[in-house]
Amino acid sequence: MTTTWTQRGLLLAALTLAALYLFPLYWMYVTSLKTGSEIFATPPAFVPIDPQWGVFQYVWGLRGMGRFLWNSVVIATGTMVLTAILGTGCAYVLARYRNIWIDIALFLVLMLQVLPASLMITPIFVGFSQLGLLDTPRFAVILALTAKTMPFFVILVRATFMSVPSELEEAALVDGNSRIGAFWFVALPLARNGILVSAILIFMQAFGEFVYSKSIIQAVDLQPASVGLNAFMGPNTTEWNNIMAYASIYVTPILAIFVLLQRRIVSGLTSGALK
Amino acid sequence: MDISQTAIADRRREANPISRFLASMRDGRGFDILLVAVPLAFLIALSGLPLVYNVVMSFQQVDMFSLGTFWRPWVGFDNYVAVFSQPETWPILRNTVVFVVASIAGQFLIGFALALFFTMDFPGAGYIRGLFLVSWVMPGLVVGAIFNWILAGDFGVLNYVLKSIGLISENIFWRSDIAFSLWAVIIANVWLGTAFNMILLAVGLASIPKDLYEAAALDGANAWQRFWTITLPMMRATIGAVVSLGLIFTLQQFDLFASITSGGPNNSSNVAQYWAWELSFRQYDFARGATISTVMILVVMIAATIYVRSTRHEVRG
Repeated sequence: MTTTWTQRGLLLAALTLAALYLFPLYWMYVTSLKTGSEIFATPPAFVPIDPQWGVFQYVWGLRGMGRFLWNSVVIATGTMVLTAILGTGCAYVLARYRNIWIDIALFLVLMLQVLPASLMITPIFVGFSQLGLLDTPRFAVILALTAKTMPFFVILVRATFMSVPSELEEAALVDGNSRIGAFWFVALPLARNGILVSAILIFMQAFGEFVYSKSIIQAVDLQPASVGLNAFMGPNTTEWNNIMAYASIYVTPILAIFVLLQRRIVSGLTSGALK
Repeated sequence: MDISQTAIADRRREANPISRFLASMRDGRGFDILLVAVPLAFLIALSGLPLVYNVVMSFQQVDMFSLGTFWRPWVGFDNYVAVFSQPETWPILRNTVVFVVASIAGQFLIGFALALFFTMDFPGAGYIRGLFLVSWVMPGLVVGAIFNWILAGDFGVLNYVLKSIGLISENIFWRSDIAFSLWAVIIANVWLGTAFNMILLAVGLASIPKDLYEAAALDGANAWQRFWTITLPMMRATIGAVVSLGLIFTLQQFDLFASITSGGPNNSSNVAQYWAWELSFRQYDFARGATISTVMILVVMIAATIYVRSTRHEVRG
């Protein structure tokens, strides 16, 4: 009996800690539902008195969020697909062999993973402008972003491939499969879940990307939601309810994906990040 | 019968270089080399070349007229001399150090405390712990927007809470007071990174054999002694990896600066990675932007080398 009570106490403490930690998220949703005058009330109301459910539709139209979110989806999807196509094969080979060349390639990949985007954007921008890539700015962002996200993807997916026994592929070769066949029909299906979770992580990362888009995409029509949010937050803004509504619309899909796939994301991350 | 046919096929393959090439693509190492060569070529083109180009630009005179050509006037170390003789350089570098040290300390200590708490056995521990990671998957700009509002001077909820519990008597203008602007970004960054630290540290804690604790408890060691003599020594490798990852991620932080303070007021919250972008894309001084970038990339690479070396056995799997 005593253990149960201790456990209940611990559970209560854990829920309190989580509530404290996640308070900023709660505050975002609550603020978005308040009226323009209620947000400046002292003391602040922790539950809105008169929830303004219309705010989301209002802000969606006011800021043209459909276009911003579409651009975010285009950039995130393009980055995810390109990263997955290029990164999966790379991760597979890096998991299957072990020699000096593989060590060098791994070291290269790890090194490229750590380069801060805000420092790399200067040469990338100048180089892209010389190559004429700035005429297709969303494509340019996808290219630059793929180079940024791929090392992380390779590290995660490599960990997945290492848990697939290579004996299965050897068996497939003995059974008359070609090398491509063994990769395509044996290794890939077995690593499918790990690849999928890593790809979703890349999607979420690219969906929130800011510095490349801000620097490369000048036309407002082609900018993603992160740049739109930045433009919405002027230095002396007072419409915090509208800004929080924008933020809520932007972040809710990501939170939904995260809550649905939480277990897989956490385990995928922990298996790859420290290895 | 079968064997002789294969032998003939093999001989034919050897005779024809193209079909031998195709065969190796399908059956041999050629396929593997192709799988790894294309992505690496892509990475070298879009990360390696910009890296080299960055260094080259830091030794050139770059302006609007020479932006379109690769052959710009060579100026040697002029850009470096110019950057390091600017009055704002040293305060910004000092800010960078404060930002990195305070962020890592905050993220690590809170993350470690939470990780230890969640090693205790109670229902739902794993699920609740996982919920903390939402801070990590959120777009940086959204986190910045929320903290902008929480930290607002007149109507921010943090000031209200601090006043209610009697910690402060006057509102703190977190974003516009030069004494606090950097700390506004640090608070947001600690919130952002704590969960990631916690998860990695929790993995390390889970790998410590339980019988060590049981043996120590039998010997009469209390919880405090067990922490110092078992937990910390066993976690040394994990802690090293987490701290160097923290350094790498903290030096990548840009979104929070862009959304909370824009480096202001008067550069009081500016750090090197934001300043480099500001020089290039606000003042269009690409040469100086490249110069700061080169210096900072060097710092990051040194940190990364330490990280790779400290986790070397794990990297090789």
